[in-house]
Formats: sequence, structure tokens, C-alpha cells
Amino acid sequence: MKRSRVPLYTTIAVLVFFYLPVLVLVINSFNASRFSAGWEGFTLDWYRKLWGAREIWHALRNTLIVATVATTVSTVLGTTAAFALHRYSDRLQQLHYLLIYTPLVIPEILMGMSLLLFFVAIGFELGLTTIILSHITFSMSYVTMTVLGRLQDFDWSLIEAAQDLGADWWTTVRRILLPLLAPGIAAGALLAFTLSIDDFVITFFVSGPGSTTLPVRIYSMIKHGQPPLINALSTLLLVVTFVTVWLSQRLMGDKR
Amino acid sequence: MPDGRRTRGAEWSVTLPSFLWLIVLFVVPSVIVFAIAFKPATPYGGIGAGWTLDTIRSLGNPNYPAIVWRTIWLSVVTTVACLLLSVPMGYTMARAPKRWQNTLLLLVIIPFWTSFLVRIFAWKMLLHPEGALKRSLVALGVAGPDTQLLYNSWAVLLVLVYTELPFAILPIYAAAEKFDFRLIEAARDLGASPFQAFRSVFVPGIRRGIVTAMLVTFIPALGAYVVPDIVGGPSSEMLGNKIAQRTFVDRNLPEASALSALLALAVLLPTFGVLALNRGRNLLAPKSESSP
Amino acid sequence: MAEFLEFENVHKHYGKVRAVDGVSLSIRRGEFFSLLGPSGCGKTTLLRILAGFERPDQGRVFLDGQDITDLPPHKRKVNTIFQNYALFPHLTVRQNIGFGLKIAGVDRSTIEREVDAMLALIQMEDQAGKYPDQVSGGQKQRVAIARALIKKPDVLLLDEPLAALDLKLRQKMLIELDLIHDEVGITFVYVTHDQGEAMSLSDRIAVMNRGKVEQLGTPTEIYEAPRSSFVAAFIGDTNFFEGTVAEMVGPDYSRLAIDGFPDVVVFNDKQLKTGDLIYLSVRPEKIRISRDRPEQGAHSNVVPAHVEDVVYLGSHTKYWVRVQDYRIAVFQQHNRFLLDEQPIRWGEDVFIRWHADDGFMLERYSESDERLMGTPPEEVGESDNGAERAPTGTDGA
Repeated sequence: MKRSRVPLYTTIAVLVFFYLPVLVLVINSFNASRFSAGWEGFTLDWYRKLWGAREIWHALRNTLIVATVATTVSTVLGTTAAFALHRYSDRLQQLHYLLIYTPLVIPEILMGMSLLLFFVAIGFELGLTTIILSHITFSMSYVTMTVLGRLQDFDWSLIEAAQDLGADWWTTVRRILLPLLAPGIAAGALLAFTLSIDDFVITFFVSGPGSTTLPVRIYSMIKHGQPPLINALSTLLLVVTFVTVWLSQRLMGDKR
Repeated sequence: MPDGRRTRGAEWSVTLPSFLWLIVLFVVPSVIVFAIAFKPATPYGGIGAGWTLDTIRSLGNPNYPAIVWRTIWLSVVTTVACLLLSVPMGYTMARAPKRWQNTLLLLVIIPFWTSFLVRIFAWKMLLHPEGALKRSLVALGVAGPDTQLLYNSWAVLLVLVYTELPFAILPIYAAAEKFDFRLIEAARDLGASPFQAFRSVFVPGIRRGIVTAMLVTFIPALGAYVVPDIVGGPSSEMLGNKIAQRTFVDRNLPEASALSALLALAVLLPTFGVLALNRGRNLLAPKSESSP
Repeated sequence: MAEFLEFENVHKHYGKVRAVDGVSLSIRRGEFFSLLGPSGCGKTTLLRILAGFERPDQGRVFLDGQDITDLPPHKRKVNTIFQNYALFPHLTVRQNIGFGLKIAGVDRSTIEREVDAMLALIQMEDQAGKYPDQVSGGQKQRVAIARALIKKPDVLLLDEPLAALDLKLRQKMLIELDLIHDEVGITFVYVTHDQGEAMSLSDRIAVMNRGKVEQLGTPTEIYEAPRSSFVAAFIGDTNFFEGTVAEMVGPDYSRLAIDGFPDVVVFNDKQLKTGDLIYLSVRPEKIRISRDRPEQGAHSNVVPAHVEDVVYLGSHTKYWVRVQDYRIAVFQQHNRFLLDEQPIRWGEDVFIRWHADDGFMLERYSESDERLMGTPPEEVGESDNGAERAPTGTDGA
């Protein structure tokens, strides 16, 4: 039976489309040319400059602080929410689900704007704390959806079997539910971490002076020149991402 | 599970943390957006006391309709383009041998894990008037030396599609993976051409994924800010830009708030449309059916 | 005097559906007791109420004199073998088996000893370190049994444990279950929809339908003396007849008037009176078929019939013969070498006979129960479980 090649060609074209700018970026990070117009020789200058750029290190530090705290809290909140949604299905949970689902579908700028207005209205000073609070708010839903998906695939008869054999609720959670759910929770946490590290719009709206994160710093670098530094930074970020993904795949033991 | 009054308390204790958090940090701020649209601005960038309709009236600004229209238009085109690309892609990915599927999925997701800003910046470089791409196009005779690849609506459209496409591919692929491809073979067996089978069997078969893909493409596009800010120009301003401008440049929070309220309404409409369609047809399928 | 395990008027409903509708049962200590019925009859719900995973809306459950209705599952001395085994995937076979003892706080060396004993019982000593996804279906089954038995429960519950196994394995496990029950001696409550399993394993069976117990008895009682058309049709096959009591014949027998039949005599254990409407069940293997008119005794029923269908199955033949409105199934075992004889063929006029003691009168009859039997349709286009009778009969209660 003759199969059309169109879908396959589309796929290849899209993949090329995806990686083209990334490739150009990486290549140009070694390009001695200031404006990446033409190739002017290989250099590691930009990386050296990057190393000495204190603002960038400061921003990176902020980013990591925010991501760590936000991930921890949103993982806990998101996991409990997933439990609630999975175990119960009454009116309360329907409302709960709506609350969880909606942040996923509204544009970031709306969320950033509303949080900014909220903090201004209650007189809360903008800074790392407001960023952390905002990150928790939007990443919680992602954790919930991830864990909820795993819960739905979870074999509930295992819980009943544990109880049948004499384990009370807490023992069952501790010995059966959590160990088996751990990969799912970890996946949710990883997602929250990634989202937090990369978030720009919401962070931009709720950050104050001195609480710059890396994306915000990158944005101002883009707006105010210094393209080669950005190239070098981007390449480094790419490498870090790849390594992290590779590590997590290894840790998860390749289960699907 | 043993029922009774005990579990009611248990349910509340599991639900309350996330529920309360979202009420305070999501619902309340959303309401405030609509509230502040009725407040005056102070010259120092704060929110004044009292209430006024002036801010709402400022929505009548003659520049706005063009911006709103452009925002909607760009979002629609972006969504359509993403669908046109992601559906064949999801088809290919779901039909690939199992070993390849994971690889393909990773290939799609990895760019998504790189910094969002970095990817947009990469396009800014690529489309630069003195960049390699422009010069090759000129050399090929496809473009003139004055053609602007950057700082216009086309650039915005291109980069919007670029950033949204992975979000469209994932739900389409998820739906395609569950699709029974023997239905296509049956259609071919009954005489349908590849395209006919694709259009009348595959596409309806993955309609849940298509609806999700539309939602996760259209709505973020409506609220796009960074993309038009970096690769767009004054002629391609979108609602997001205006809101940011009012907030950071003009320091007029109430007007920014009013615009945000407008955007929120624009977002709510398709969402409710989908929810209304969803009744009984289970398009969003939040969770599996619970057994009695 | 209460038995070891008592269900007292248990009710459970989900919304409008009455899953368990007023069930009262007494199960004896050490018994192999089965709950048998089609899917949706309530047997699994009843089992789960016993295990503690469901609470009845009404009624109580007593175990060894103690009211366990409100006890959570982990406090009951009841253990369950789940249909999908529910082995913990992140624990080894050894850890799975020892789980119940570990939770109970038993010391390490005792656990080792007991687990080793169990491993020997199920003959899986060399697989102790494997994980559930590394062992076969039958082995998973055995691990599940060991895991449950190690806690020495008062009652062992089995929820369709053989459903996931292929035929050969199922037959093997049937024997093993029987042996384990004999050896361990605890009460087994077994849930199944397969009558073969229930009949071969059980001391007593409760046949359930739509949340109620239709009949409780030994396998023989259930088979030979079904109380209702449901039990008669669900277990094995049978023929149903409708008629009235014409007269009494002695203290123990009645003569029935059935449309199209000469007088039929049946053993009357139900104190029926003349004129009562009755339904009669006669199983196909109790009916003899022959070309020549057999001798008519005082208690034998002889009826002329016309052969409509013949299905030869080697060890026996199934005939469907017509008498007026009735299409009657007859099973004839071939005890003698068949090639010397002239087997009865399609279209012949024959005589069927059965003994009055072999018919049984039903307390309840419902025409829809006839669909439970797998009989060939009379014509192409009929549903494959069509009622045996032509539509002119009156319908039952």
C-alpha cells in the first residue's frame, strides 16, 4: 500500500527548523566576529568574558535559589493536590481541578500582571520572595498534572493488598505508595525546576531591583547589545540542559 | 475505601494546601486585575485612591483596535500553522517503530528545554539584516537587499510558530499514539487515497489532541510579549507589548490593568467555547472515569 | 447458633444499583465456600465487604463471634488473593511474602524462617530474590497465596484467582488450590463466575444473581435440585416445562398436565396441590432417547418426539428434539462401541423418556434465565441464546 511521504518530510523539515537557530548560536559563540555577520576566526574570548561577568553570576545564584525553593514547595503542594483530585471526585474537587487547570491555559503576561498588581495592592515589596511565590503558583499545576497522570496509571489494588496484609494508611503510604510514585513525583519536580529556571515574563513583572534572575539578565543583554556574550551563555546553558537531561534519564532507569 | 465522616476531614486536609494557595495567589490577583481597571493612576506609577471610569474610557484609544486585531490575527495564523505542521508530525511519530518514538520525542522536547529567550535571540541573529541567512537569500536572488526579515509581523509569526510548535506537537502525538492505525488500513482497503484516509479517519480520530493543541497554541499566542518585543517592530505590536509598555514605560498600572482585563476576556472566550463543546463529548478528559 | 463466618442481611448499593440486596450467609470453619454467579451479581462486592474494602449500607458481618463490620481491612484476620495478584513491584518475591509479618513487627529471624517455609511450600526457593515482573503468571499466583497464608488468617479470600491463567495452567492450579486447602485447613471463600471451578473445589456454593443469593447448597444439591430457573440454567443445561398439577399419585408424586405431552409424573417435594401452576426442570443427561417405544413404568415418562438437530461430539451426542411447542435437549453418552449400531439421525421420530425422580420443580421461573444456556438458534437470524420455546407459550413469573 503506497504511503504518502508528506508527513515524513514535514517531520524532517520541522526538526531542521527546530535545530537550525540553535546550531547557529553554538557556532557563533566561538566566532570572533562581534556581530556574528561572518566568520572571523575561532575564539574562546567570549567564554572568558562570561567567566568574569559578575552580574551574570549574581543572576545565576538568584535563579538557583528561586528554583530550588519554588520547586520544593510546588512539588509538595502539587503532589497533595494530585492525591486529592485522584482520590475524591465531588464538587469540591471539580472546583479544585478548575483552579489547578486554569493557570495552565492563561498567558504568562496575565499571570505576571495580576501578581504584580496583587503585590502592589497589598504593599508587598518586590524581590526574591515575590518571585518565589509567583513561581510556586504557576509550577504547582504542572506538578499536579504530572503526578495525577502517574496516579491514574497506579495499580490501586496494591494499596488494598497492603492494607489487607495489615498495613494501616500511613504505613501503606510510606512503604507502597510513595516508593512507587517517586519517579512520577521526581518527574514533576524536574518539570517545575525547569520551568522556574527558564521563566522570564512572570519573573520580569514581579522582580525588584537586586533580584535579577538569569532570564531577566539575558533579556537585558539582548536588548542592550553584547550578542556574542549571549551566544556563549546560551551554549553553556544548552550544555547544562543536555547534561541534566542525560543524568535524569540515567537516574530514572529508562522506564519508558 | 471505607466511607464515612472521617474521610471528609481527610479530603479537606489534602485539598486545602493547594486550594488555599491558588485562591490567594491566583484567584485574588485575577480579581484585582479587573478591580484596578476602575482605579486612577498616580503620577509616580502607583495606584490612586477612589474609583473612576477614566481608565476604562482609555480603552477607547484609537490605536488599540489595530493592536487587538493584529493580536487576534497573528494568534489565529500561528495556531493554524502549528496545526498544519504538528498533525503530520504526530502521525509520523506515532507510526514510527517503538525505539524511534522515544528518540523523536526527545528531539522535539530538547529545544524546549533550552532557554526560551535564547531561542528567540537565536532567531534575531539568524534574521538579522547582516546575518548569514539574509545574505544567502540575497545571493540566491530570492530577496532584495532591502528586504527586512526582522522587526516585522512575519518575523513575529515565524518565531511564534517556532516557540509554540512543541506545545502543539505533544498533545497531538499523545492522541496519535492512542490511535488505532488499522482504521487507516481499513479505509485504504475500502478505496480511500492516503490523503482521504488521513483527513476523514485520522484527523477526527485525534480530535481531542487537536483541541488541546489549539488551546495551548492560541492562548499563549494571544498573550505573546517577548517574541514581538525582541523580533518585532512598531508595526507588529501586540497586546502584550502594550501592557508591558503601560506597566514599565508609562508606569500607568490601572491602564495596564484594563488592557489585561481585555486580554483576559479574549482568552476566556475560546476557553469557555471549548468547555461548552466538551460537555458530553469529553474533549478535555481531565481524568479517567471513576468506578462506583 | 452462629457459624464461624456470618453475613447478616447485608445490603450495599451504588447510586441506584443494588449490588448486594439483603444477603445472609453462614459459612463454616474450614469450609471451601464459593460465591458463584455472572458478572454484576454482587459476589465481588460481598467479598470486598468481607475483606473490609467496602462498608455495607445495612447489615453486619461476624467472624468467629466478633462483629467486624466496622473494622478496617488491616485489622481483620482476613487475607485476600487479588485477581491480578497485586504483588508489590518494587519488592522481591521474598520481601513480598514477608511483607505482612514485617508490618506486624515480627523479628527478622522469625520472618526468614517463615518465608523459607512458605517458599518451600510453593516450590520457589530459588526464585526468592526475583522481582514480580521476572516470574511467570502461575508463579505470581503462588507468591500471592504464600503472601496471604503466611499470616495464618482466619479466612482466605480468593477473587477469581484463576481468571488470568490459560487453560492448562488453570487446571493445574485448581488441583493445587484444593491441595493447599486440605493441607492448611482454613476457611476459603472463593469468588468465581466459572461453575466448573466452583463445583470441583467447593464444599458449598452460594449461587448469586442481581445481589441476591438464589440458592445455597453443596455442588450436588445445586446441580440436581435447582430451586430456580436461574440456577438451573446457569449451572449446566436444562429443559424447562410449564404446566399444572393434574392430580396426586400417591403421597410422593404428582401427575402434571403439560401442553402437548402425555401425562408426566414427577417427584413432588413441594406439597403442591391440584391446579397449581408449576415449572419443571429436567436436565438433558437424564433423558434417554430411542427409536422403539420403551417400557412404561409407573414412574417413567415416555414422550414421542421428532429429532431436529444432532451434534456429534465423540464421547456423547447432543440431540434437540421437538415435542409440540417444546425444543428439548437430550445428551446421550456413548457407552458402547458406536459403529455397530445405527445412530439416530436428523428427522427421525423417536421416543424420549426420563424417570419421575429426575425431574425437579422450580420455586421461581423467569423466561429471561433461559438465555443463560448456550443453545443453537432454531433459525438463522435468531439471537444466539434464544429461548428454547417457540413464542406461543405463556411467559413465566
